[in-house]
Parts: sequence; C-alpha cells; structure tokens
Amino acid sequence: MPVIKKELFNMEYTLHVIYLLCIYIMLVLSANLTTGMANLLTMCQAAFYGIGAYIGTLFLFQCNYLFVVIAIAVMLVTGVSSLIVSYASVKLKGDYFVLATMGFQLIVYTILYNWTEVTNGTYGIAGIPGINLFFGAVSLDGIYLNLAFVMLITIAVVLFLYRLKNSPYGRLLKAIRNDDITVEAFGRNTASVKIWAFALSSAIAGLAGALYASYVGYIDPTSFPLKESIFILCALFIGGIGNIEGPICGAAFVIVLPELLRFVGLPDSVAAEIRQIIYGVALVLIMIFRPQGIKGKIVMK
Amino acid sequence: MILELQDIRLSFNNTGQERLNLLNGVTMSIPKGRVTALIGGNGTGKTTLFNIISGFQNDYEGTVILDGRDISRQPAHKVSLMGIGRLFQGGQLLGDLTLMENMKIASEDKTGEWPFTSFFHSNKVKRQENDKEERAREIIRNVISEKYVDRMDRLGSEFSYGEQRLLSLARLLMGKDDKLLLLDEPTSGVNPRYISLIQQIIRKMTDEEGLSVLMIEHNMHFVSEVADYCAFLNEGIIAKYGKSGEVLSDPEVRSSYLGL
Amino acid sequence: MILQFIINGLITGILYSLLAIGFALVYNTTKIFHIAAAGLYVLASYIFWFANTIWHANLFVSAVLSVLITMLVSCIIELIVYRHLKSRGASLNVMMIASIGIMTVLVNVIALAFGHEAKFVNTEIQRTFSGDSVILTTPQIWQLFVGGIILSLGVLVLKFTNYGRRLRALSEDEELYSTLGYNVNNTRNIVFAVSGMYIAVASCLSAYDVGMEPNMGMNFLINAMVAMMIGGMGRVVPCIAGGLLLGVLQSLVVSQFAASWQNAVTFVILLILLFVRPQGIAGYKKRIV
Repeated sequence: MPVIKKELFNMEYTLHVIYLLCIYIMLVLSANLTTGMANLLTMCQAAFYGIGAYIGTLFLFQCNYLFVVIAIAVMLVTGVSSLIVSYASVKLKGDYFVLATMGFQLIVYTILYNWTEVTNGTYGIAGIPGINLFFGAVSLDGIYLNLAFVMLITIAVVLFLYRLKNSPYGRLLKAIRNDDITVEAFGRNTASVKIWAFALSSAIAGLAGALYASYVGYIDPTSFPLKESIFILCALFIGGIGNIEGPICGAAFVIVLPELLRFVGLPDSVAAEIRQIIYGVALVLIMIFRPQGIKGKIVMK
Repeated sequence: MILELQDIRLSFNNTGQERLNLLNGVTMSIPKGRVTALIGGNGTGKTTLFNIISGFQNDYEGTVILDGRDISRQPAHKVSLMGIGRLFQGGQLLGDLTLMENMKIASEDKTGEWPFTSFFHSNKVKRQENDKEERAREIIRNVISEKYVDRMDRLGSEFSYGEQRLLSLARLLMGKDDKLLLLDEPTSGVNPRYISLIQQIIRKMTDEEGLSVLMIEHNMHFVSEVADYCAFLNEGIIAKYGKSGEVLSDPEVRSSYLGL
Repeated sequence: MILQFIINGLITGILYSLLAIGFALVYNTTKIFHIAAAGLYVLASYIFWFANTIWHANLFVSAVLSVLITMLVSCIIELIVYRHLKSRGASLNVMMIASIGIMTVLVNVIALAFGHEAKFVNTEIQRTFSGDSVILTTPQIWQLFVGGIILSLGVLVLKFTNYGRRLRALSEDEELYSTLGYNVNNTRNIVFAVSGMYIAVASCLSAYDVGMEPNMGMNFLINAMVAMMIGGMGRVVPCIAGGLLLGVLQSLVVSQFAASWQNAVTFVILLILLFVRPQGIAGYKKRIV
C-alpha cells in the first residue's frame, strides 16, 4: 500500500498523489500484459516491483550518474528474475501456475525480509539518492521535477504498450490466450512468447519500483508483500483487462478513492481497512455484474 | 512418400498403474499429393499418432520421416515450420480474433511477432501485414466464397460451428511451406451442408495445391468419397492399408470396426 | 531430540491437513480456487476468541459456535457469490478473483472490528505432558486428538459411506451427477458446510495454541495448498499425507535454521514439486492435447 501523508488540499500533496498514480498506472499496465493480454494470472507483480526497488536502490547508491543506465540495469535484472515465472507458465497449467506465482512472490518477500546483509531486512534502506539524469547536470530535486519525469516515463510506457497491443505481437498474445496449442501448431514458439511477455511485464514493474525508491527515499519489505500483488490485481480487474484504458482506470480508482474518502472526513485510523473492504466488495460485484471491469474489453478465461 | 512412420511405439501407465501399449509398432507410408484416411475405433491412438507426427508428444520410440527428413521428437512449433499443418479435433477459430487475424496468425511468416519489431522495422511489418491480408482474401475467395471475404472483420466466435470448421480448414492454406496436413475429424459435428464444402476444400488442397492430406475420420461415407487411400489402426498397428475402396470393403475391417 | 521435532511437525501437519481438506473439498467438487478459505480461517479464530473473551463462554462452546458460524458463512458465500457466478457462466479464473475479493472483505472487516494486534484465547498456564524425550503442550494434545479424530472421520465417510461416494461422483462429473437424479445444488451446499467445518476446526485448534491476527489467513492457506499439492491435487485423503509431510519437513528445517526462513523452504519445496512432479505423490497426469 502506498505511503500517504495527511493534509487536504495541499498542492504538494496533490502532486504526490499524482506521482503515485503514475507509478500504479505502470504497475497495473505491467500486470495487464501477462494477466490481461495473455490470460496468465500472476500473483507476484509486487515481487518484481520490490526487486526493481531494491536493485534500483543498489545502483542509485553505487553509480548514480546516468539514470538511463540504472533503468536499463534494473529492467534487465528484473526481467531475468521473471524467467522462473515464465518457465512455470510454460510447464504448468491454470491453478498450478497461480500457486507457483504465489510461491515466487513469497520467496522474494522472505529473501527481502531475511537477507539482512543486503536488504537490511525490516529496518529498510533510507537515504536513497534522488535521480541523476545526466552526470549531475540534471538531477531531480523536489516534487515538480520528479513528477514531470515520472509522467514522461508513464506516458512512454502507455504509448509503448498501446503500440504493442496493436502489433502482431499483441495479436499473438491474444491468440495464445484463446488457444495456445493451435498457435503452437502454427509454428509459433509459445514458450518464448510467454517468456518475453513476462520479461516486459516484470521490467516495467521493476522500473516503477526503482522510481518509487528514489522518490520516497526509503524502502522496506513491507511495501512488497503478497497483499500488494493482490492489490495490483484488484486495481487491474476493477478497471478492466485487455486494453489500455482499463488498467489506467483501475489505477485511478484505487489511488483516487482513498483521497475522496479522506475528503468526506473518514478518520485515518479506519481508512486503510475501509478502503480494502471497498476494493473487495467492488471486486466481487464487478466479477458478478461486469466481469470485463469498468473500462476493460475482455473477460478472464 | 510424403510421410513415413517407422515402428512407432508408445506405452504409458494408466490410472490403475498398469502398463498400456497404445501404439505397438505403427509403420506406414503416406503417399504424396493424395488424401489418406486413418480409421479405427475410439481411443485406439489415432489422435495420439497425430500428436506424435506433429511434435506434441515426444516420449515415443520409432522414427517419423517427413519428405525424407527425420523429424522425430522435435518440438511442435519446429515441426510445423518443417511443413506440417494441423486441424485439431473440435478445433475452431480463435474466438477473440477476427477472421482476418485468424488467417494472419496461420501464416508461417512471423514478422512483427516479437515485442520490439514493430518499433524498429515498422515498414517491413506493414508490408508483410498487407501481403498476408491479400493472401488471406485470395484464399477465402477461391476456396470458400466472396461472401466470406466481406465478413473478415467479424470475430471468430461470431461464426457458427460448421462455418468455423470450414474456415479453420481454409486457414491452413495460409502456410505457404506446408507439405502435409493432418486433419482430425474434419466433419465431426458438422451440418451436412458444410460437409460437401469441406469435401471440396480437401480435394482442392490435394489436386490444386499439391498438398498431402492425412485425416482421421469416423464418417465412412465421407471417407469413401474423399480419400484415395485408407489405413486401419487396430490394436496398436496398421492392420490394413490400401486404396480406400479395398480397405472399406475388407471383411476384417468391416467386422471389427464397422460391426458389419 | 529429533523425535520432538518430528512429533511437533506431525501435529502441525494435522492442522495443515485439516485446512487442506477444507480447501480441497471445494476445489475438487467445484474446481474453484477457494482463496476465501483464508478469510474463513481468520473469521473462525475471531469468533472463537470473541465468544470466549467477550461473552465468557467456555472454550468448548466457543469452538462449537465458531464452527457453526463458519459453516454458515461458508454456505452463504456459496449461495450469494459462487452460485451466482456459475449461473452467469463465469470462468474459473473469474470465480477465483471473486474469491480473492471475499477474502479481502472478511479479513478487513475483522481488522476493522478487532484491530491488528495479536489476540490470544487461553491465558491459563499450560500443562505439559512428557513422554521419554518428548514434551507436548495442552494445545498440542487437543490438536492431536480432535484433529486426528476429525481427519479420520472424514476419511471414513468419504471412502466408505454412500455419501462419500456421491461426493466423489460430483467431483468427477457434475452433469452426470445431476442426470443420476441428485440435486447438485444441495450437495454443493453440504460440501461448503463441511469445508467450513474443517477450516474452523483447524483455526480454533491453532488459535488456542498460538493466538491470531487478521493477516494470518493467507500464510496458513498457502501452507495448506502446498500440503494438498504434495499429496496430489484433486484428492482429499492424500491431503493428510501431504500435510503431515509438510509439517515434519518444516519442523526439521526450523531445528536447523532460523524460523523465519521456514516459509522460504515451504515455497522452494512448492516450486520444486511443481516442476518435477506436479501431480503430487498420489496424483496422475492428464492428457493435454
């Protein structure tokens, strides 16, 4: 769950919310790539988010000169970590696969939690440096620069995925969703298609993690548990799968709703639980009455 | 001979942990440019044999040779590119894709099907897409009818069962390098109106396109009309093989399979 | 020394088996990935605590109350969510997602009502029973006997009674089951009720031992799912073997490494299992093409 400060109608706070919205748009879109477009329901998106955050932190401390290098490194490492999951998607069907993704999520969480020499365990890592775009010539200080940067990246991700959806690769994912055996009989290596889908999905989630780490300046494992993966899935299914509008709508729903609740005077002490209850109820109602989500195009098979 | 099967053996443990020999030394040659029917009772291993030929099953003994090339135990997507097309039992169009998209997926050309190609080679992708579209329209026009060319923007799920069977068959023609088509019960569950169309398509495939067809069928009337040759799979081996007329009138086939 | 760990593991394994059966009953008959079971697990513990601490009912009455209410809630979930989805032709994934929603609601309602701090049921000093080199606490004795009896009863009913046979028939082929003249819906109700019972028994036995907190559900459920998998997905009786085995393995790991790594071991076992022998010990492979 995102860390949210108090104060209503504070410009800086509103910008902070928009920042989180961008991060979650990226996260939900990344989940859409595998869960929505390829029908591979994954419960481990937060694990990739977390891996990206910690790897990003590592690089931000060690060689924070050119963010584009850090970004590529983070995406590569996270993408490689997804190989276990994509291998599972090839070998395992349906519920076994979901169980495997849960297992992966929990293994990653346990490692982040217990491998204290590297991750500092529950104490977390503080003082994460801000992003340096170009050898210190352009460094992101303050909310405005950070926000502008993250919005740029989010727009780039949105455009990339939009293009992807309408490309032959997008068509291929949709086909595999319907019948991966027939697609295999048409000479497509469905295993490699799935591997790339997971690599991209996890890379985007990892990038979001690195950005988040740098922006907030502090990370700990409690930001990346199974609950968070479920939260991302909630956003995905409430908003809708298969297209670009659905996930964006879902991210908006889960990020903006808490602010509306605060606006109507909901006390902070119960806010977290009430929010979750609303998400849970919304999820059940949507699955019953509108399974394609608010703005989605397709339904989970 | 387009396909040669040499001593294919497959056995497995069933739920009661007994060893079952499904295929007990299947040896057969499929002639080029002709329609061969594979008949036999349910559960005798015909679809499994198809799985073996097309690479979906790899734990067998024996050799599969396609047009002189050993393709034994290769993965399915590789076997497909070596020249085998397959229509699955009950298989339909991809429901969430349009008919046109279905045809494009069936093409052996995979330009643009990697996440980044559409960004780096967008012109090449566009060209290939146009080529595929033209080819798709041509196939539908020649093999089915002009009427369906106008309906190529409809989703696969919007067509009826029989239409989808027909279109799935036509879809196979998109693979330019195909040599052998494996058709698993093409007429099963299909309206008689479409059966004669399916018959025409299959004959076109062999007579005009020079393809070879191996089909599993239970509809004996269809077999006698369409197939040149016939192979009878019984007790794990090819018990009878020859011209379809001969095989269908063979007393052993008639008693053990047709119950006559 | 090692014997103590094995005995501890077996007893924890009984709890895993109970929850695994609760999950498996629903999974086998309806193919729904019943994640809401984690929510029911938490609910049962809190009812137990509430009846005992707020209403001052004795432990036995509290437990029975917990079991009855959990069974009821389980049936309600079936009626208003799963049944509804089924009549709309929802896919299994859609049902699982709804199940996740239900779990979220259950867990957070409880957190809202009772807070996040751990709660405990018994405050009296526990007695221990010592054998040769083995010591068992009171909760463990309860787990062993109550859990063992419920497990054995389940096996007997499933394997030897008519009703058990009907349940297995329903799991195999629902359509055929209804053509045989049985009411699918009634049987489903009973399945969910019994499932609730198993979940509640596991939950109360565990609550009496280690207490409860709102977020314990998923963790325990995942262990139970691994137990089910080890035994063989799709069978109720092998859940017991799987649960016991998992309990013992975890206990042995804890004897060697820090307890916090215990979870990781479970999941590594899970992944290895999934890749090497997904059908579990007693399962068999099915044809894909």
